[in-house]
Amino acid sequence: MSKVIKFNKESDLPPLVMSLGTTLVNKTGSWRYLRPVYQDKTAPCIEACPASEDIQQYMYLVAKGEFDKAWETLVAENPFPAVCGRVCYHPCELSCNRGEFDQPLAINAVERFIGDHGLERSLEPFKIAADRKEKVAIVGSGPAGLTCAYNLRRLGFKVVVLEKNEKPGGVLQFGIPEYRLPKDILAKEISRLEDFGIEIKTGVEIGKDVSWAALLKYDAVFLALGVHRSRAMDVPGEELDGVISGLEFLSQIARGEKVALGQNVAVIGGGNTAMDAVRTALRLGSKAKIYYRRTRAEMPAIRDEIEEAEREGIEMEFLVTPVRISGENGRVKEMTLQKMELGAPDESGRRRPVPVAGSEYTVTIDNVITAIGEMGDFNFIPEDMLEWGTVKTNHFGQTNIEHVFAGGDIIEQPHTVVHAIGSGKRTAMAIQAYLDHVDPETLVDKISVGFKGGFSFERFNDGQTGDPVDNHQVVHYEQINKNYFTEKPRNEADEQEISAGITTFREVKTTFDAQTVIGEALRCFNCGVCNMCDNCVIFCPDVAIKRREDDYRYEIDYDYCKGCGICVVECPRNALSLIPEGK
Amino acid sequence: MKKVLMGNHAVSYGARLARVEVIAAYPITPQTQIVEELSELCANGELDAKFIKVESEHSAMASCMGSSAAGARAFTATSSQGLALMHELLHFASGSRLPIVLANVNRAMGPGWNIWTEQTDSLAQRDTGWLQFYCENNQEVLDTVIQSFKIAEQLALPVMMVLDAFILSHTYEIVDVPERELIDKFLPPYMPEFKMDVDDPHAFGALVTPDNYYEIRYKMQKSMEKAPQIVTQTGVEYGEIVGRSYDVLETYFCDDAELVLVAAGTLVSNSRAVVQEYRSKGIKLGLLKIRMFRPFPTEQVRKILLHIPKIAVIDRNISFGASGIFFQELKAALYGRDGVSEARIFGFIIGLGGRDVRLQDIAEIVDYALEEEKPKEDIIWMGLKR
Repeated sequence: MSKVIKFNKESDLPPLVMSLGTTLVNKTGSWRYLRPVYQDKTAPCIEACPASEDIQQYMYLVAKGEFDKAWETLVAENPFPAVCGRVCYHPCELSCNRGEFDQPLAINAVERFIGDHGLERSLEPFKIAADRKEKVAIVGSGPAGLTCAYNLRRLGFKVVVLEKNEKPGGVLQFGIPEYRLPKDILAKEISRLEDFGIEIKTGVEIGKDVSWAALLKYDAVFLALGVHRSRAMDVPGEELDGVISGLEFLSQIARGEKVALGQNVAVIGGGNTAMDAVRTALRLGSKAKIYYRRTRAEMPAIRDEIEEAEREGIEMEFLVTPVRISGENGRVKEMTLQKMELGAPDESGRRRPVPVAGSEYTVTIDNVITAIGEMGDFNFIPEDMLEWGTVKTNHFGQTNIEHVFAGGDIIEQPHTVVHAIGSGKRTAMAIQAYLDHVDPETLVDKISVGFKGGFSFERFNDGQTGDPVDNHQVVHYEQINKNYFTEKPRNEADEQEISAGITTFREVKTTFDAQTVIGEALRCFNCGVCNMCDNCVIFCPDVAIKRREDDYRYEIDYDYCKGCGICVVECPRNALSLIPEGK
Repeated sequence: MKKVLMGNHAVSYGARLARVEVIAAYPITPQTQIVEELSELCANGELDAKFIKVESEHSAMASCMGSSAAGARAFTATSSQGLALMHELLHFASGSRLPIVLANVNRAMGPGWNIWTEQTDSLAQRDTGWLQFYCENNQEVLDTVIQSFKIAEQLALPVMMVLDAFILSHTYEIVDVPERELIDKFLPPYMPEFKMDVDDPHAFGALVTPDNYYEIRYKMQKSMEKAPQIVTQTGVEYGEIVGRSYDVLETYFCDDAELVLVAAGTLVSNSRAVVQEYRSKGIKLGLLKIRMFRPFPTEQVRKILLHIPKIAVIDRNISFGASGIFFQELKAALYGRDGVSEARIFGFIIGLGGRDVRLQDIAEIVDYALEEEKPKEDIIWMGLKR
């Protein structure tokens, strides 16, 4: 071991400035007033994901070719990777730091690959807690209901899902068209959940087959009915034959029913239902056209859907609204539209369309499909539970009846699949907390991911890596050390040829192959999380950093770390922090 | 094999024959061709060395130091401002006892910005602990690069070998390039006694307190003092194997001289021609070539010059506020513990910033020194436009 060597005469000294023993005797760590620590932080994509998927972690695993583990990471937060990999509007990509560097990561396409990989390999989720005696009823088998059921099951609860329709899946089954979400993919993801021990009873309607009172006898109830009624346009002639609600149209097609459309089909609206309806009508052989009261920029539909519709030759007419539908023999024949212009912004921040006087014109039409918004059908839900057409809940989905929770499209939140999944997960955690007499608010600090409302089930469940994590620090672009990255174009999934007059319901986009998905995952900055790049080890001038004995992550020898901070600066991804010593 | 080489390429060929393992350099006129040629030799596989591109001369020397400390034979080349930028690390390299070889092409320091030859850049580094050799022609350039490695590695001290800008660097001469086998016989691979080795870890170049620093410096000086003998011996060995011998000094008609010219670099060649001419007229003129400037070969100089009545030192450099630098060194050497020279020593400064030094300029120096009984001033400015 090291000791101080005393040189008594010049010939004792080595011929050059060199230690004879080690310099371990000199504990340079005593000079330190700042301490570098490994501290995982939150990547902005994860914060942006309403389902709080640990995106950077599965990118890390995919980059190493560990697809099974990537799938496990994904389903730890979201039981529908193959579904979301197809239909999610992927706000993660908008937040991706790589977007400021060159192009955002193709997160959605990677998710799809992993989801499909899980289906191909028949991977199964694992339970994380022993069986519990409490039984929870879930009303509705859409993404919110099934996600809640899944997470409750993982926590050991008995779960029964009551579904009004003949098949489970809700909007996934009866709303989203086949060309975006093939039914066999959905069926596989749902049957995996059934295999996991979730009981789904279809054809069960509350208030008819099961009474509200009987429902309330469960230890907890989760209402996730979804919204299935298209909002009425309130224009004369809406009752005519040939005027169809968009949701009804889509569900008829999903059920394989024949829907007779004429040649000219007008679809009213600019949201996803409108896009789904117009593209479906196109595939049925009609000349379908969008009429929307604002401009393209204000359309609430997913951008990809709008672009694909345009490439399929769908015409869109903006700044118009129907004022009258007229018919012949009870059947629609013409539609009169009024031109609009954009006025002052409304409460949604979008500029409000206002009519232009004297601008009415009439088009000849065979069908009108209405898709200007959806409403819930709350016939069995007590009046005092409702507010502004939604079920009133606290932050955790709890209603005014303490063991009744609600989520998905019936509460006040954006109507997207991934928000539904997020609410199902959040509520599962809240239900356990309720049954354990724990105030869920006390969990918020531990389980929240960033500041956009997402909660991590892994953190709820303590399933952490064992490294200190600051889930409240989101890594932004400025905190990335760009010197370590080179520009690399984003990979795009192949598309089947999109053209006007398309008639196939085959999926538009393909799934990445393994090589492409790894290439794409390698583009990930892994913001805020150590990916074992060794930069800290290479740069530490005191050789005070080394890989841990289990070869996972690093340890700092604070006896010799001088606190220079070079490791922190040279970490490409801000996975280290410098904190004042003694605090 | 005889080749027609410019001085810069003579350096490159010498480094190649010495089988350098790491070259780290930053371009600067008039040095650039040295490392340009080496980079090509590395690129085309003729030289198995790592060529490290760096962003400054400071980093060039730092890279050489790292490589040398790890046991590699390291080489760099620079000039003028580039050498000045290395200054800090010149101390560090010698203090670390690393046998790096540096080729410096003598170029005047700016401003005024000037790329022509002058000795001030290298002489200003005289106290950095590096050995210094000044070369007279391209053959000597090539031979000195090779010998420099052997000398440096024996002493564990770095060597700077110097050649004049343009007069040598860009001028083509016939150069005998020795056969590789001969040089391999002369210069074995570098096997340092101590090097950075992960299997035998030590800390290098770390803090040394006043308790030991003094002794460290003493040991460095002791190694420097060994240099003249090692240089002489190496020059002899080189002669035995390659056929050309070298020493720390070279004399030309000094034994009976009444006046001896003292010069270094290409000034020596012109002086030699002038000595020949004067000797043919019966005038007892001699010439002392200073090949090794650091360590200064005091003993050898004294042996030659103690009995000479007049000495004329030709400096293409100036230490501002003092005089020509060779002139100072000469005077210091001749005032020694075993006696004081009674010679009249003239200090001439000539050819700064690359101004031509012609035969008649040297002849003027000789005439002045022969004519005057003693110098009228400390600095005799030759060719100054007054």
